[in-house]
Amino acid sequence: MSLDTVGLALAGTARRTRRRTRPSALVVASIALLGIVAVASVLAPVITPYAPDATDILNSSAGPTSEHLLGTDGTGRDTLSRLLIGAQLSLLAPLAVAVITTAVGALLGLAAARIGGAFDMIVSRAMDIVFAFPTLLLALLAVAVFGPGLTAPICALALGYIPFVGRIVRSAAIQEQAKPYVGSHAVMGFSELAITVRHIFPNIAPVLLAQATLTFGYAMLDIAALSYLGLGVQPPAADWGSMIAQSQSAVLQGNLWSILFPGMAVILTVLAVNVLGESLSDRFSLASRSAR
Amino acid sequence: MMSTATNSSAAAAAAAPLEISGLSITVQVDGESRPLLDKVSLSVAKGEIVGLVGESGSGKSVTSRSALGLFPGHAITTGSVVVDGVEVIGASAAQLLELRRTRASMIFQDPRSSVNPVRRLGDFLTEGLRARGVGRAEANRTAIGLLEEVGIRDPARAMRRFPHEFSGGMLQRIVIAGALSIGPRLVLADEATTALDVTTQAEVVALLKRLQAESGTGMLFVTHDLELAAALCDRIVVMYAGRVVETGAASAIFAEPQHPYTVGLLGSNPRLTGERATLTPIVGRPLALAEAPAGCAFRDRCPIAVPACATEVPALRPSRATEVACIMPGDEKAA
Amino acid sequence: MIFRLIGSRLLAAIVTMGVAAVVIYGSLRLIPGDPVSAITAGTRLTSEQRAALREKLGLNQGFVSGFTHWLGSVLQLDFGQSMVYGSSVNDLLAARMPTTVTLVLYAAALSLVLGLGMALVSATRPGIIDRIGLVVTSLSIATPSFVVALVLLGVFAVQLRMFPATGSGDGFGDMVYHLTLPAIALMVATFGLVARIMRATFREELVSEHVEVARSRGVARMDILRRHVVRNSVGPMMTITALLLAALFIGTAIVETAFGVDGIGQLLVVSIARRDFPVVQAISLLSVGLFVVTSTIADLALPFVDARVRAVGGLR
Repeated sequence: MSLDTVGLALAGTARRTRRRTRPSALVVASIALLGIVAVASVLAPVITPYAPDATDILNSSAGPTSEHLLGTDGTGRDTLSRLLIGAQLSLLAPLAVAVITTAVGALLGLAAARIGGAFDMIVSRAMDIVFAFPTLLLALLAVAVFGPGLTAPICALALGYIPFVGRIVRSAAIQEQAKPYVGSHAVMGFSELAITVRHIFPNIAPVLLAQATLTFGYAMLDIAALSYLGLGVQPPAADWGSMIAQSQSAVLQGNLWSILFPGMAVILTVLAVNVLGESLSDRFSLASRSAR
Repeated sequence: MMSTATNSSAAAAAAAPLEISGLSITVQVDGESRPLLDKVSLSVAKGEIVGLVGESGSGKSVTSRSALGLFPGHAITTGSVVVDGVEVIGASAAQLLELRRTRASMIFQDPRSSVNPVRRLGDFLTEGLRARGVGRAEANRTAIGLLEEVGIRDPARAMRRFPHEFSGGMLQRIVIAGALSIGPRLVLADEATTALDVTTQAEVVALLKRLQAESGTGMLFVTHDLELAAALCDRIVVMYAGRVVETGAASAIFAEPQHPYTVGLLGSNPRLTGERATLTPIVGRPLALAEAPAGCAFRDRCPIAVPACATEVPALRPSRATEVACIMPGDEKAA
Repeated sequence: MIFRLIGSRLLAAIVTMGVAAVVIYGSLRLIPGDPVSAITAGTRLTSEQRAALREKLGLNQGFVSGFTHWLGSVLQLDFGQSMVYGSSVNDLLAARMPTTVTLVLYAAALSLVLGLGMALVSATRPGIIDRIGLVVTSLSIATPSFVVALVLLGVFAVQLRMFPATGSGDGFGDMVYHLTLPAIALMVATFGLVARIMRATFREELVSEHVEVARSRGVARMDILRRHVVRNSVGPMMTITALLLAALFIGTAIVETAFGVDGIGQLLVVSIARRDFPVVQAISLLSVGLFVVTSTIADLALPFVDARVRAVGGLR
């Protein structure tokens, strides 16, 4: 039957209470997957069945076997071992981007909201200008300037994602500081800084966490792309993006096994991160709505 | 949606614009059933204005929307809703479209959000007629004529303008013109004047009354304002927590309310005339049917409640000039 | 009011392009050590040639005079000469422009059709279909275009031999044929975000009161979707299209490399690997310029689809 405002309102309240109390099975699964990937990457040097660059020429470009659980690549290197070692850089690089972006973005967004005036205008306009640069272009430019590697692209991506975090933090802080308690604290003589640190920041922390998580996912895709193009991680080091690049020749010879596992590793990790980030951001918007 | 039609006496020759009998609606929310209406009956005769009065949650909007087949999602509906001889409950999608296009139309509370903000007023005004298959030129002529009737200056030009160019009061006149464009037998006005300021409200109410009288259409005027309903309507139906608690001629309800809730509604409005200047609000907050206690739903807030009120839901019975669902009707001295 | 809106929007676009030009020109100066020896590392250039290059890149001038000199040429659409190919950057770009423009438009058309279609279906069919839609869009957002590219290559080019594995074809028809797999790879990686954002927009309109009013008047379902839901979402659709075009342009760097398509994207990657700065600077400016132009057009077109913006001079 037709949608009705009454029915929707009722359904809305119910969904809201249910979502707030318990994370969905999908969110739990995502957290579990990310936990496993993180632990595996830390333990990688200990648990890899083979040295990541040991070649087994007789068994090159093979599918899963009892010897090589996830098969081997074109030069006979064990895919599982390379995936585990590759996870380290694949996770660390986007983590670095997310941390830098979140820290700087939060600082800029908060400062813009609290100081306001010309400062707010300049910060907002600057973020608009950075937003005009596709993040991948910034990473590529960093490579052009500093040569292949990950350090420069990490900084470039961190810069590129600042507007995504900064804009949201700014508007959340503006919303928060419009609440009556902020004014009353100011009247009571608390300093601007104290109010910002003790009240406004804790209240926007959830949205910051959500944004940090989503940034991690996007950055992971950018860095994988960079490594795929041969401009990121340089051999003999490996990440999932460079593994995918190395699998291309095998794929062109009709062997799809070599792309399957590194491809899945990227997709599943980003998927889990996005599920987590979206659920965090949903929770925040629901909490702020019901508080109003 | 499940529905059970219990009405067999459909489509008499001169059918009333609206005939609701024994309407109960329960919605399913997360596997729980939540009742919204319990055996609501009311009717609107040709040329009659009936006021449907109650607080939020009383089910008055759900009741009026049921006349257009606009039921909430996942609703179980029993009883009968007959509009101009057409049974709404269990009606096919095509029958509902026909009903909405030709027989009944609704005026919503907020004109600002009733009209699509990015389309021209002409599009809004002719939408109902065009849905029925009326040609553009003819629909435009009808709309311009109606704009003139509701007091919009330069109607031909207004047709090409956008909603934000008009005040709330003017826009509600345009919404009324849109509702009347199809020449309905029944008009449902759902808090149609609530969003307007007091002066504009008086003008729009007067306009509604004049247009209704001219066209002879039946009108269900849904409001929380009992005094406004008493001034405008012929008869009044008072609802509380999904049930009808009192019904009768507007003058009788206004002069001699029998249900303590009706008494309370009149007492909680500041009066500008008369000697009684004291304001006696009803204690507590209005309940929805799903949260109502057993027996009379009003008993927790009722000043004259007795233990017997908890035993059963009182049925509507005649008491003086009205019909009332109370075991101790007319005991207004206690209020 | 409307002139102020246009004026301020155009000014913002010009400022953005100006700052972008400074950053892109300045990137050359950011190179640690001596830029000329860094970018010519591995080549055998005489000291005279190095000096000539230094002169040509404006590196022997101060930043400001070097920049104004460079900007002057760029404004006359002269991006200089490629250090790798020797020919003018303009010739390199002109030869590749048709391929990349076709690829971007092809992918944009696929992505918009699929994304908007899914958004409409998901928004109007809550329940299982909407849930499936959410899973599909989540997968799309999480999938890199190069993974899709390799899978498409392996399946449709190598195993089934339905499409060519590399190259960009001769003539328009052959080019479209060659660009089909690259366009699909870009589509798979982008349609999910289009669908996600537009689903939320459609949903918002579907529960709005003017839709309820139209429904109460017996307006047919398709007419409600067309005249109320889709019509009222044209603004967000234009914004999405602008962002999508800019994202696809930079995305060609990945898929053109994967499919060996000789377009601007591949040229960018090659030029970055070889530090062919005149080419890198030209393509970077194009990329930012595309974003600025498309998003400015989308903003300026907004008053024509939403009369409220005309009245108040911008909703923001």
